[in-house]
Amino acid sequence: MANARQISVFVDNRPNQLAGVMRLIKDKGINVRALSLADTKDFGILRLIANDTDKTVDTLKEAGYPVTVTEIVAISIPDTPGQLSRALDVLGGEGVNLEYLYAFLGKSDKSVSFVIRVDDVENASAALNKAGIIQLTENDISEM
Amino acid sequence: MERYWNQEMECASPEVMKKLQDERLVAQVKHVYENVKYYRDLMDEKGVKPEDIKGTEDLRKLPFLSKADLRDAYPFGLLAKPLSECVRIHSTSGTTGRRVVAFYTQNDIDLWDECCARAITAAGGTNEDVCQVAYGFGLFTGGAGLNGGSHTVGCLTLPMSSGNTDRQIQFMQDLGATILCCTPSYAAYIGETIHEMGISPDDLKLKAGIFGAEPWTEEMRRSIEKSLGIKAYDIYGLTEISGPGVAFECSEQNGMHINEDNFIAEIIDPETGEPLPDGEVGELVFTSITKEAFPLLRYRTRDLCRLTRGKCSCGRTLVKMAKPMGRSDDMMIIRGVNVFPSQIETVLIEQGYSPNYLIEVDRVNNSDTLDISVEMNPDQFSDKVKDMQKQERELAEAIKTMLGINPKVHLVSPKSITRSEGKAVRVIDRRKLHD
Repeated sequence: MANARQISVFVDNRPNQLAGVMRLIKDKGINVRALSLADTKDFGILRLIANDTDKTVDTLKEAGYPVTVTEIVAISIPDTPGQLSRALDVLGGEGVNLEYLYAFLGKSDKSVSFVIRVDDVENASAALNKAGIIQLTENDISEM
Repeated sequence: MERYWNQEMECASPEVMKKLQDERLVAQVKHVYENVKYYRDLMDEKGVKPEDIKGTEDLRKLPFLSKADLRDAYPFGLLAKPLSECVRIHSTSGTTGRRVVAFYTQNDIDLWDECCARAITAAGGTNEDVCQVAYGFGLFTGGAGLNGGSHTVGCLTLPMSSGNTDRQIQFMQDLGATILCCTPSYAAYIGETIHEMGISPDDLKLKAGIFGAEPWTEEMRRSIEKSLGIKAYDIYGLTEISGPGVAFECSEQNGMHINEDNFIAEIIDPETGEPLPDGEVGELVFTSITKEAFPLLRYRTRDLCRLTRGKCSCGRTLVKMAKPMGRSDDMMIIRGVNVFPSQIETVLIEQGYSPNYLIEVDRVNNSDTLDISVEMNPDQFSDKVKDMQKQERELAEAIKTMLGINPKVHLVSPKSITRSEGKAVRVIDRRKLHD
């Protein structure tokens, strides 16, 4: 099963920086499916999943942004109490180290989706699969 | 094979050079004493008469001149010739205070052009070469000096001045420039731009660069040499003494030969003013022995370096000065420690970062702060915050090892620090605002 790819962009901690990135993406008609911004005192790291990863990477690189692409795990779980906790227990039980995660809009209002950045995608993916937790491919996300 | 512009002078025996310097110094002191009231007063105050100066060993009897004297004497106080005999002025960039104006007779210009011709020849230049002068033209001596030297050698001269980088690169390609003369930071910028445009150094005819007017490091030299596919030569000079060409590098690329038939160099202890023996680091002091209009005696450059004598592998006997560790003007004292921007630059290049950076010094609660903005390396970009913060920490550690004080390092986007087409502004010292 192909996992989804996430694009990360280095942005300066100054006004209008994030806006600049989003303007570029808008001009190319790209749709952003999931997004999170990690910020430090000096800079921000924008992470996003777009409906066209390659086009987004090319666009950003051409404009001179430092860009990196990483494989992540995306899950879709029922919107009921305890579901995220269960998924995290599955990963923890396998000894998978979690770097960060963020939620994004799913297909239906009965489920929620999360991007999970782990150190061992293969192991994480297998464990989630075994536990019956739905994982989303890049294709699934772009068609949402 | 090494080529010389003026072999008789560049390879003179120490005895011949000493005799020439003695004669020229005696005549120069007399010329200055008779024509420059400002310096005559300084000599009288010290109780020195022109007759007391019989040779270079008597130099130490003469009073020093400093930048402050040049400002006091502005504009005509140090002029030694009637204005009717002067043909040009040049002026300092004013980066460290009020401008200084220097005057030139036609003979002064001719001698200066020859000094630059020696530099171009030492870099392999002949009348077959196409010399692109991308130093600023105008009051700044960079453009005029190399332009004059290039004409003297007989190169086809492209008087580009600085800036308009696209046009620089177009002319470089279309006219087949073989020698590039500019500041090292502009050379680095041209190199970067060429790569961005997808041009390979093999598409260019460039073979040598003559770079000066600001401090640069050995690491920066290697990086420019690689990006432009050339050999990069250092050149040294200052407006007060003439301009670029006071000293120049040869094929050995290890220190610059001072044109000592025109300029006598001394190294002094900057605290006591006492001359130091060859090989010791101290402040560089120049005495012009051929300049007519603006002949400075014992001018303190505030550049810290050392001199070495002995025949060079290039065959020249002219005394060599090491690349200055920095101007004492550039030196910052942060928490009691002497810091030169060039030290920080060395660490950045070693660690794989671009030599574009900005140093900000401030004082918070009576303690100095050192903040360094560095362009992040796109190849090292990670989506994890902790990885990026680790890069900042490691760079701060490396700088601390070099300087002995702890800086704060801030990673910023590539190309977000302003590139310079002239002298790079790399330090902002805000402490002065509080004094």
